[in-house]
Amino acid sequence: MTRPNPVTLIIALCFLLCLLLPLGGIADYWLYTMTIGFYYALLASSWSLLVGYVGRISFAQAAMSGLGAYVALLSAQYLGLPPLQGILIGTLAAGLVGIVVGLLTLRLHGAYLGLTTIAVSEILRITATAEHQLTQGTRGLPAPPLWQGIGQTGYYYVFLSVLLVSLGIMILLLRSRVGLFFQAIREDEDGAASLGVRVTLWKVLAFSLSTGFAGLAGGIYAHFIQLIAPSMMSMQEMGYILSMAVIGGFSNVVHAALGGILLQWLLEALREIGEWRLVIFGVIAILVLRFAPNGIFGSLEKRFGRGRP
Amino acid sequence: MTTAPQLEIRDLVKTFGGVQALRGINLQFAQGELVGLIGPNGSGKTTLLNIIGGYYAATGGEILLDGMRCNGRSPVELARIGIGRSFQVTKVFKRLSVLENMLVGALALPGSSRREAEERAMAVLGSLQLMRLAHQPASGLSGGQAKLLEFGRIMMLHPKIVLLDEPFGGVHPDLKRFMYDRIREWNAGGVTIILVSHDMGSIFGLCQRVVALSYGDVIADGLPEAVKADPAVLEAYLGDHHAA
Ligand SMILES: Nc1ncnc2c1ncn2[C@@H]1O[C@H](COP(=O)(O)OP(=O)(O)O)[C@@H](O)[C@H]1O
Ligand SMILES: [Mg+2]
Repeated sequence: MTRPNPVTLIIALCFLLCLLLPLGGIADYWLYTMTIGFYYALLASSWSLLVGYVGRISFAQAAMSGLGAYVALLSAQYLGLPPLQGILIGTLAAGLVGIVVGLLTLRLHGAYLGLTTIAVSEILRITATAEHQLTQGTRGLPAPPLWQGIGQTGYYYVFLSVLLVSLGIMILLLRSRVGLFFQAIREDEDGAASLGVRVTLWKVLAFSLSTGFAGLAGGIYAHFIQLIAPSMMSMQEMGYILSMAVIGGFSNVVHAALGGILLQWLLEALREIGEWRLVIFGVIAILVLRFAPNGIFGSLEKRFGRGRP
Repeated sequence: MTTAPQLEIRDLVKTFGGVQALRGINLQFAQGELVGLIGPNGSGKTTLLNIIGGYYAATGGEILLDGMRCNGRSPVELARIGIGRSFQVTKVFKRLSVLENMLVGALALPGSSRREAEERAMAVLGSLQLMRLAHQPASGLSGGQAKLLEFGRIMMLHPKIVLLDEPFGGVHPDLKRFMYDRIREWNAGGVTIILVSHDMGSIFGLCQRVVALSYGDVIADGLPEAVKADPAVLEAYLGDHHAA
């Protein structure tokens, strides 16, 4: 047995604290910030699932969130469905697009894969911008609340639960043999195939899960902010998600999620400097990649985790 | 050979653009043989293994496994029907532990249990003297240990045929002898082994039969002494600077 890592314990404690936070009479403003933090946490962790574990790069995570959001709202609107069913359809749509993109990019690696996902992302964003009739373009598409009378605390708990359940699913999957196959594929595809690992199946599954969780995040986000615009699919958004995962640590879905919450706080705290925030995050991300490739939390865990009895 | 061959290669041709890497090769392997495959650099040894293992599609010809045509099958399918292979440049999963490396193949087999796989993996690691490294990341292994780990990973698949590509490259002589014993043991258990190496000492010490390739053709096939003395083999090696 290994002694529990103190950093892991502290991380678990933080999530526990998150559950209690609204009971402490925190201002709605900070609950709002945390709620958005949970949204980014889900995007950063689902991105890490693909990039950190399977070693496949993608720049389409923000676009997949947007896809989930638009499909959720439009399907609910046109089919007369309640928000929850719309969100489900949005999630499935994003997962399905993930399967298609995963299959189309099966043989691509590195820069080619990255460029292809940027193209996919831009196609989706431009489509959402250009299809005024359907999406109302840059004016934005209004959305009803998740349910009548839901308040800030309600949203807080919805996002937190969705995040925790999603992380739970990811962790269960990653601790199963599938997680082992993912990592074997990341390390060496031919080596994995030579041992009978169905490389194609797992690569496509990882892509689809990653985009599916992004679609889920986008769907609930739409009903939270109640007005979505194509800008949520921009490369700038993708830049934030990427920084969050890298700074938190993208070789661990929980670390990436924490990166999402932490950076969302910083985004709010540094609101005054506007666009410069992305520059700062970019610089920090580069420094982290260079000096602490496991991210802040991964490095801390390593630093304090050396003590196997 | 009196029994039907386990693995048969018929008129196998492989071209890369203008390069003819294999020019119509015919070979038969019986179950339980330990065959050395030699030839100067670029003679087509790795290409032959890559085609048998499903990594390259043949340009022409066929490969029969137990009488059934198996070219066109993927490496995954071939691994599952019992063809294991190692790589000239080891493909160890560096950021996984040694034990996890061992488990990948075992758990990829349908219906495998994790506990049984772990027990077997530890036993195999013991036989390879890697047990104490089981929980270390594979990135810390020496070149020779990485080759041994590849052996171990293949053993976890219960293969019928094993293709070893240059397993002795850069390996310390003591470790080499240890590897010979493991290969002999494996072979004694009925596993067919095709061993590519330009380490003549190893090949002639281990194998009952040697096949020599040159420029994509089989130029000799038979008992080690006969192949060693074959004028065509001597010429192929004398004409090549890279020969070992
Ligand atoms: N993937 C490839 N693409 C192009 N040419 C290749 C490829 N693999 C091998 N070759 C060529 O095929 C010939 C045989 O190579 P190889 O099978 O690696 O030889 P060996 O393993 O006997 O040294 C060489 O001329 C080599 O350049
Ligand atoms: Mg070779």
